Amino acid sequence: MPPSPETRPSLVVRLRSVRDEAAWVEFLEVYEPLILRLMRKHGLQESDARDVCQQVIVAVAQDIEQWKPDGAKESFRRWLFQIARNRVIKFLVKERQRVVAEGGTDGQIQLAAQSDSHASLSAEFEREYRQQLLLCAAQQIRGEFRESTWAAFWRTCIDGRSAVEVSEELGMSVGNLYVARSRIIARLRVRVSELQAET
Amino acid sequence: MNVPEKTCDAERLRLLLADQLPEALQAEVAEHVAQCAECRQKLESFAGDVGFWSEVESCLRTNAEHVGESSGASSSLSEARSSDESFAADFVVDFLEPCEQPDTLGRLGEYEILEVIGRGGMGIVLKGFQRELGRYVAVKVMAPHLAASGAARQRFVREARAAAAIVHPHVMPIHAVCTSARLPYLVMPCVACESLQQRIDRQGPLDVIEILRIGMQAALGLAASHAQGLVHRDVKPANILLEKGVDRVMLTDFGLARAADDASLTRTGVVTGTPQYMSPEQSRGESIDARSDLFSLGSVLYAMCAGRPPFRAETTLAVLRRITDTQPRPIREINPAVPEWLESIVGRLHDKLPEQRFASASEVAELLEQCLAHVQQPTVTPLPECVRHISLNALASGSAICGEPDASAFRLMRFDRRTALVTTAVVCLLIVVVQVVFQRANPTNAPGGQSSMASASDTADLSDEAVTKESQTLNDDLWGLEQRASQDWDDRDL
Repeated sequence: MPPSPETRPSLVVRLRSVRDEAAWVEFLEVYEPLILRLMRKHGLQESDARDVCQQVIVAVAQDIEQWKPDGAKESFRRWLFQIARNRVIKFLVKERQRVVAEGGTDGQIQLAAQSDSHASLSAEFEREYRQQLLLCAAQQIRGEFRESTWAAFWRTCIDGRSAVEVSEELGMSVGNLYVARSRIIARLRVRVSELQAET
Repeated sequence: MNVPEKTCDAERLRLLLADQLPEALQAEVAEHVAQCAECRQKLESFAGDVGFWSEVESCLRTNAEHVGESSGASSSLSEARSSDESFAADFVVDFLEPCEQPDTLGRLGEYEILEVIGRGGMGIVLKGFQRELGRYVAVKVMAPHLAASGAARQRFVREARAAAAIVHPHVMPIHAVCTSARLPYLVMPCVACESLQQRIDRQGPLDVIEILRIGMQAALGLAASHAQGLVHRDVKPANILLEKGVDRVMLTDFGLARAADDASLTRTGVVTGTPQYMSPEQSRGESIDARSDLFSLGSVLYAMCAGRPPFRAETTLAVLRRITDTQPRPIREINPAVPEWLESIVGRLHDKLPEQRFASASEVAELLEQCLAHVQQPTVTPLPECVRHISLNALASGSAICGEPDASAFRLMRFDRRTALVTTAVVCLLIVVVQVVFQRANPTNAPGGQSSMASASDTADLSDEAVTKESQTLNDDLWGLEQRASQDWDDRDL
């Protein structure tokens, strides 16, 4: 039985201890794809996106001790989002100088487009965070179930195939198939709320 | 016998969901759920509301590959595991053409592949034979997962070409770069060698002469590549090869680390490979220049002196923070046999600010060469002037190295030794001056407290010249003494 969300120390608190590798693994699992996606949204090329993403992560590692929660639930994400955004802008400004020198204007256009989109990007960051939690939860809990249980869930809920067909395929009764996929959904929901409480 | 009211029982459904029903009852209730739409709905709503079910559906459908789901329900986890184990075998099957020669694994371009020598982060190293020229070669093939990334592939080729342009006795030559194959590869001479990493693992800290010789040759190799505008980026003992027998140093893997970063940053977390030899600017992800290699060279020298890398921690991120924020433990605390001047050279290479390090790899090479000459013939060749200069600088500014406790403790220790010498000199001088003056003023009186001091100052003008001459001689003697002392010190260290 995992400890309830309220008693688990917040991931953010654990991140302050550099020795807590598990906390960092968890952090990267949830947030790295988010940061990368944000970079790509700003039009960064793959290798640049990864470079800037690494800068963000190192910046978080270095400044995490100074970070103070402002009470709001999403305050850590707002802080992280700000760091990520600052790094992207810094990168794009540098890039723009280079591009302008070469006579192009793409960088400028990108930069100009950014300032209005702050709010929408921030909201999207929050939505993607939610999606990322779900993906992490799915990856994490999959191993807790038998392969057939997972297959019952996946083939009916995600692939949208009929319960009868899949149950025959898996050699499982239709009733057990319903139970199997409900158990997965229930477990996913618990894990998502745990992750949310932690991160 | 079950009446419907009893079967459609919410509590039983909850227990069923939580897998807490007895086995026999479980089958029965599950069977009921299959028949009764209402109970099925109830069971599903206990698991999660409709919104959550559809959120899961849309999210997992669009991101199926992230959950390890491709099409259908194959177990991709076990596939991944087995692929790692049988990599070499698969590689031979997938990427080599058949070869009619016996005792070969296959053919890659014009090379007959004889065996797999090793496998690293970048890819796989094969031993090959080039029949036309009748020579054995080492073929380094980019790993398939790296070659799949366009950015990594381009960089591999670009850096390999740049490295191939460097012709220098301390840089591993590259015979050929092949970009058209499915996996890009480069061809190098097949040399019997061990890496500096293997040497350190086997032997622990090296002798000062060895350290200087290897350090000097590595610096020369770096200078050659820097002259062509190529930053190595991954200077570490594993990339410094020692030719068997003659111990000639050869640098290898120029700039290739960067290609690996391009492809696998997201796979493994923050950075690929071991970051222990990275420079602070590198670990911050900033742009770097040749001086970054100098920091790494400092870490290599440190590893040769101490038998282990300077910045160690349990986790990758902790290592990165050590590199950016702290000073390594003083070398001489770990290995007292390392001379002070060598420690100060490493200290200068390890400056967090690139502009405080040596200006170039060639400067480092020259310095290490002079030090080597001194160590091999201490009586004929003095220690280079600038080594003394470094220690004096560090002593005077103190700001060059900013402060972790043990680093400043090290400075303090050194300061104490010097202070002690200077203090002794001053005190001796004072006593002699007092005695000389006193004896000249009053040859019969025994020297004593307050009165002798007073008479000394009273009569100072009379014997000024004599005192100056006396103190000059004394000064010379003390200078000689200090030089001898430091000579002793050095001799003992060696």
